[in-house]
Amino acid sequence: MRVGFLTILAVAQLAVVSAAADAPALRVHPERVTLRRPESSSQVLVFGKSPESGNFDATRLVTFRIDDPSIAEVLPGGRVLPRADGETIAHAELDGQSVPFPVLVTGQANPPPVSFRGDVLPVLTKAGCNSGGCHGKAEGQNGFKLSVFAFDAKFDFAAIVQEARGRRVRTTAAAQSLFLRKATGETPHGGGRRIEPGGDWYRLIKRWIEEGAALDEATPESAVRLRVEPAEILVDSQTTQQLRVTLVAADGSETCVTTGADYQSNAEAIAAVDETGLVTSTEIPGEAAILVRYMGHVGVSRLTHARPESDFTRPPQNNFIDRLVWDKLEKLGIAASPPASEAVFLRRVYLDTTGTLPTPEEVQQYLEDRAPDKRSGLVAGLLDRSEYADYWAQKWADLLRVDRNVITSQGAVAMTRWLREQIETNRPYDEFARDIVMADGRSMDENPAAFYVAHQDAEAASRAVSQLFLGVRIECAECHHHPFEKWGQADYYALAGFFTGVERRDSPLGGKKIVGGPGQDLLHPRTGETVAAAALDAPPVEFEPLADRRTAFADWMTASDNPFFARTIANRIWAHYLGRGLFEPVDDLRATNPASNEPLLDALAAYLIEVDYDVKQLTQTILESRVYQLSSATTESNRLDDQNYSRAAWKPLPAEVLLDAITAATGVSHDFDGMPAGLRAIELWDSRLPANFFQVFGRPVRQSVCACERGVEPSMAQALHLMNSEETSAKIRDRRGRAAELAASSLSNEQIVDQLYLAALSRFPSDDERRLMTSVFTQLESSGTADPRRTATEDVLWTLLNTKEFAFNH
Amino acid sequence: MSNRRISDTEFRMNRRTAVRIGGAGLLGGLTLPRLLELQSTAAAPQPAKAKSCIFFMLEGGPSHIDMWDLKPGAPAEIRGPYQPISTAVAGTQIGELLPMTAGIVDKFTILRSHSHADNAHQTGRHWVLTGYPPSFADGQAQGMPFNALYPSIGSIVARELGQRGAVPPYVEMPNPLGPGGPGFYGAKYAPFTIDNDPVQADFKVRDLTTTSEVDGDRYERRKQLLQDAEALGASDDATGPAKQMTDFYEQAMTLVSSPEASRAFDLSVESDEMRERYGYTSIGQCALLGRRLVEADCRFVGITHGSWDTHVDNFTSHEKTLVPPTDRALTTLLTDLDDRGLLDETLVVVMGEMGRTPRINKDAGRDHWSMCQSVILAGGGIKRGAVIGASDETASYPTTQPYGIHDLLQTLFYLMGVDANKIHHTPLGRPVPIVSGGHRIDEVLA
Repeated sequence: MRVGFLTILAVAQLAVVSAAADAPALRVHPERVTLRRPESSSQVLVFGKSPESGNFDATRLVTFRIDDPSIAEVLPGGRVLPRADGETIAHAELDGQSVPFPVLVTGQANPPPVSFRGDVLPVLTKAGCNSGGCHGKAEGQNGFKLSVFAFDAKFDFAAIVQEARGRRVRTTAAAQSLFLRKATGETPHGGGRRIEPGGDWYRLIKRWIEEGAALDEATPESAVRLRVEPAEILVDSQTTQQLRVTLVAADGSETCVTTGADYQSNAEAIAAVDETGLVTSTEIPGEAAILVRYMGHVGVSRLTHARPESDFTRPPQNNFIDRLVWDKLEKLGIAASPPASEAVFLRRVYLDTTGTLPTPEEVQQYLEDRAPDKRSGLVAGLLDRSEYADYWAQKWADLLRVDRNVITSQGAVAMTRWLREQIETNRPYDEFARDIVMADGRSMDENPAAFYVAHQDAEAASRAVSQLFLGVRIECAECHHHPFEKWGQADYYALAGFFTGVERRDSPLGGKKIVGGPGQDLLHPRTGETVAAAALDAPPVEFEPLADRRTAFADWMTASDNPFFARTIANRIWAHYLGRGLFEPVDDLRATNPASNEPLLDALAAYLIEVDYDVKQLTQTILESRVYQLSSATTESNRLDDQNYSRAAWKPLPAEVLLDAITAATGVSHDFDGMPAGLRAIELWDSRLPANFFQVFGRPVRQSVCACERGVEPSMAQALHLMNSEETSAKIRDRRGRAAELAASSLSNEQIVDQLYLAALSRFPSDDERRLMTSVFTQLESSGTADPRRTATEDVLWTLLNTKEFAFNH
Repeated sequence: MSNRRISDTEFRMNRRTAVRIGGAGLLGGLTLPRLLELQSTAAAPQPAKAKSCIFFMLEGGPSHIDMWDLKPGAPAEIRGPYQPISTAVAGTQIGELLPMTAGIVDKFTILRSHSHADNAHQTGRHWVLTGYPPSFADGQAQGMPFNALYPSIGSIVARELGQRGAVPPYVEMPNPLGPGGPGFYGAKYAPFTIDNDPVQADFKVRDLTTTSEVDGDRYERRKQLLQDAEALGASDDATGPAKQMTDFYEQAMTLVSSPEASRAFDLSVESDEMRERYGYTSIGQCALLGRRLVEADCRFVGITHGSWDTHVDNFTSHEKTLVPPTDRALTTLLTDLDDRGLLDETLVVVMGEMGRTPRINKDAGRDHWSMCQSVILAGGGIKRGAVIGASDETASYPTTQPYGIHDLLQTLFYLMGVDANKIHHTPLGRPVPIVSGGHRIDEVLA
C-alpha cells in the first residue's frame, strides 16, 4: 500500500508538470450535491483526464474549497458533510483548474425523523454489531441477540427497545442509553468501541432515541437498486479509485450510501477495497469484482488492470476454448506460455484423467509415436480406461458423502460401485444428476439411494442438491439473507419443499428403503406462513396430489435454460483439469462472484448442453484445447497471472493419487488394513480407513458436499513424510522394488537413471540431469560403499520422489 | 474531523488491517500519530504472559472427588475410601493419592467449579478442545483428527502465534488428541504428531529423523542431490502451492538438521536421574519431553493420557495405575519448570473431558459427570497456591460461579496473547470467532 501511495504522488507530480503544457481536464460527479439531514453525507468523485496520464481518479489529488463553510464542509477525499440549511458552491481544484459544484443543504433545522429500518439497522450492519461472529450469531452475545445482517427488523427492535426491561434505550436521556454506551465503549463492551462518540452514526442513533425510539412501518420495498460508480474501472499498477454508491428508490430519488455500504473484493491479489469504498490495485494485472452490499441490496464494480506494455501475440487455436481465452489475454495484454512438451503433456493428462502415472513403457511408446494427432488419440484412450472410472467415482463419492459411518460399509461399497458404473458407461450428466435427485430403493443396493440416508431430511437434501448441482450455497439462507447473495429464507424453504415427500423406511434387509411420495409445503420460521415449493428464481409449482415433488424439481434442474446446472458442472470439470475454476469456489455460483471469463463459462455450458451432457466429450474438448496443453513455465509477461489460464497450473496431487504414484514409482504396493492386496488408493471406498499418509496429506472425511473438504494446502509435515517416513523409505529400499531390480539388472548407470526418471517423472532426464545423477554412482563406486549401485539407485529414486515435479501435476 | 471515517469503524483491528488503513488513509488525512496509535493497539491486543502451554488431556475423565475435591463428610457411597491430606498451603487439602503434588500446591491453582453439559467422551473432548459443539453423536466420530470443522486450541495457537523456535509450534503426543486437528484452518495448522510413546526404549519421533539405512553422510548426499535436481528440473519454475512447498521443504530440512530441534526431541540427553524423577511412564516421559519442547520454544504441547474412564473398579484403577504416575509427572514438571525459571511463562493445564459421578456404582466404579470437574492450572500468569471455586457437599455441582469451557478458553488465550474475539471464516463464509462466548476467569490470574 505504501508503494501505491508513492505511485499516486508520482501521478500527481506528472499532472502538475503537464499543467504548463496541457492541464488535466476535471469532471466532478455528481454535478450537484444534495444533503437532506444532519447525518447525511455525499461522496463526490473527481475524474481527471490528461494526454500524459489518460483517465485517472483525481478525487484524492484535488483540493476542495467551499464558498460558505458554515453550510457544508468537504473532507479531503471528497466526502461532503452538511452544517446548516442553505446553498453554496464547492470547488475541486487541481493545478490551476477549478470545477465548481453546487451543494444544497436542507433538513438541518427541522430534520425528518430517523427511521429504524432505513437508518439505524444499516449502521448496526456496517459497524458489525449483527455479524454472525457477534450479536448476530444464533445464541447472541452476552444476552443480546440481533438478527444476523438485520434481516428481521421487528426482532431487532424488540431486542433493542423492549428486552432487558427497557434499559437498553432511555428516550428521556438518550446519551445514557446502554445501547449507545456499549456501542461507544463508554460502558465496557466485549466488542470494543464500534461507534465513535459524537460521530455521524452516534448522532443518528441518539436522535432516533430522542425522537421516541419507534419502529417505523415496513414500507413496500422502496429502494429498487444500488448503483455503484464507476461500474467499470480501468487501472494501472498500484493506483486507486474511489467508489460512490447510491441507493435508488422506486420514485427515482437517490441517496448516497457510500459510507454505509460494505465492500469486498473477489480477488484481493489484484485489487483491494477498504471500508470507505477506496479501491487500490496491486501490481498484478487481471480483473477483480468489487462487491458492494447495503441492506440486502448488492452491486458490483468491475476492475480491469491490463499490463501497460502488452506483448500479447495470438497463438493458434484448436477450438472455441482457445479463442475465448486468447480474447481475454489480449484484453489484458498478457502473453500465453508456449505449449508443453510431449512428455509433460503425457504425464499431465494421465494424472488428470486417471489419477495414474504412465508406466516407463507407456512414456517411451508415446514419445516415439509419430502420428500427428497423437494427443487426441491419447486422451480418447485414457477416458476409456478403468482408472478413469475409479478416479472419478472416488471424486463423486467424496461429494455425495459416501461415508460408511453414515450409510454403512455395505451401502458405501454399493454406492461407489453405482458411481463407477455411471462414469464407466459415460452416463449423460443430466441423467446422472436426475438419478441422484430421484433416488429410491434400498440404500444397500447399487443405486444412489444412500444419498437420502446421508441427507436425513428435506432441508439437508435440498441444501446438498443446491450446492452440488446448482452451485448455490443456499445453506446460509436457512437463518438469514446471505450477504452478497440474493437468496433469503423464503427461497430456502421453497426449495426444501420439493424434498418433503421422501420417506426413509427401515428396510427388513438392513439399511433404509427410500420411497418418494407426495410432500407438503414448509412454514417460514419467522412469519409462520406456508412457503409454496419453488425452485430458485422460479414460480411456485402446482403439484398433482400424489406426485413425487422431486420430479418437478428435476425437470426444472435439467432444463436446457436452467441458469445454474450446466454452468456448475462445466466449471467443476474445467477446474479439475485447469487447476482453478472460472469461478471459485466451484460451488459458489452467484452474480456477485463473477467468472474470471464469463464468455468461456457460457460457451462451455452451452457446449455441454449441445452434446447432450456427454462428459467425456466435454473433457476431450477441454484436453484438446491449446490452453490445456500450455507449459506451466512462466514468462515475464504472465508470471503474475493466476486467473486467466495463460499457463498451466501446478496442481497438488490428491493424497490418493500421490500414494499411488509412490507405489508406481517404487514398484512396491501399499497395503491397506483390511483391504485386498494390491488395491489402489484411488479405488478405496472407505473414507474412514486409518492411514498416516492420509492424515498428513489430507483426504475428505465426507461430512459435507463441499468440494472444500479436500484441503490442498501443502505443509511441513508433508515434506517430512516424503523425506523420512518409514513407509516411503521401506518402498524405496524394498528388495523386490524398482530400485533393487534396476540395480541388479545389466543396465548401465545411465540407463538406470533414465528408467528412474521415466518411472517417477514420466520423462527422460536432460543431459545435465543424467550427468548429475550418474555422478552419484561413480562417487559411491570409488568410495568403497557396500553395494554402491543399489545405494546410488535408491538415492536417485529418493531424490526424484522428493522433487516438486513429482508431488505436483504441472 | 478528517479521521472520523476511520475512527467510526475500526477499533478492533489486527496489524494487517491497521497497515492497510494506514496506507490508504494517509491520503484521506489520517494523521501519523493516529496511525501509530492504531498500529500499536493492533499489535498488542493483550500482554502475553504465557509463551507456551502444556495441556494434559486426561482422557476418559479423572475422578475429581478422589483427587482434588474430597468430601470426607459425605456418605460412604459417595466419599470413597480416600482421606484428604494437608498440603504445602495451609488450609488446602487434596486427596491422599497425590502425596507428591501435595508438597507443591503452592505452585498452582485448583479450579473446583468447572462445569459443562456434555457428558460423553468424544463429544465432550470436542467441546473441551475446540469450544464448539460437535456435529456428530458420541461414538460416531472416527478417523483422526475428528474435529472436521472447528480448530482445536493448539491449531488456533499455531495460527495466531506462529512458530517461535526450531520446533513446530504445535506438537501432540504420544497419540493424536482426537479432536486436536486444525478443522477448517487446514493442514498448515495441523499438529505435529509424535505417534510414538516416549517411554518406549526405541522411542523415535515419526518422520523427524531419517530411517536407519540413511546415515548422516547419505542424508547429506541426498539433500544436495535434491537441491541440484530441483535447480535443473521443472520445479525451479514452480508457482502457487508448489512454490510454497519449497518453503516447507526448507523448514523440514532445517528441522531435521537443526541441533536444537533434534535435541529438543531427544530424551536420551536427559540424565537417568531426571527421567526417573518424571517417572518411566507414558505421562512422565511425555511431560519431560513437553518441558524440552517448551525450552525449544514450542507454543503448544498437547499430551493425552488415559484411560480414566473408570466405570468399573474406579479405586483400583486410580490408586494403582492412573494417579501415581500423574502425581509424579505433574509434581516434577511444575518443580522443574519453576527451577528453570520457565513456570512463569509456561501455562500448564490438566483436565479431562469430564469429572466422575460422586455416587459409586454397583461395580465400585464411578460414571461420567461433566457437571463438576476440578481443573489444575499453573504458570504463565496463573495464581500460585490458590483454590478457586467450590462444589456442594457431594462434589456434584459448583456452589460458586460455575466456569465452563468458554471461560477457560478465554483465560488461556488471554494469557497467551491471542485475541479470543478474532474471527476467521469457514470455506462457506461463516464467521467463527476463536471463542464463542464466555468470560476470562479473573480469579485465577496472578
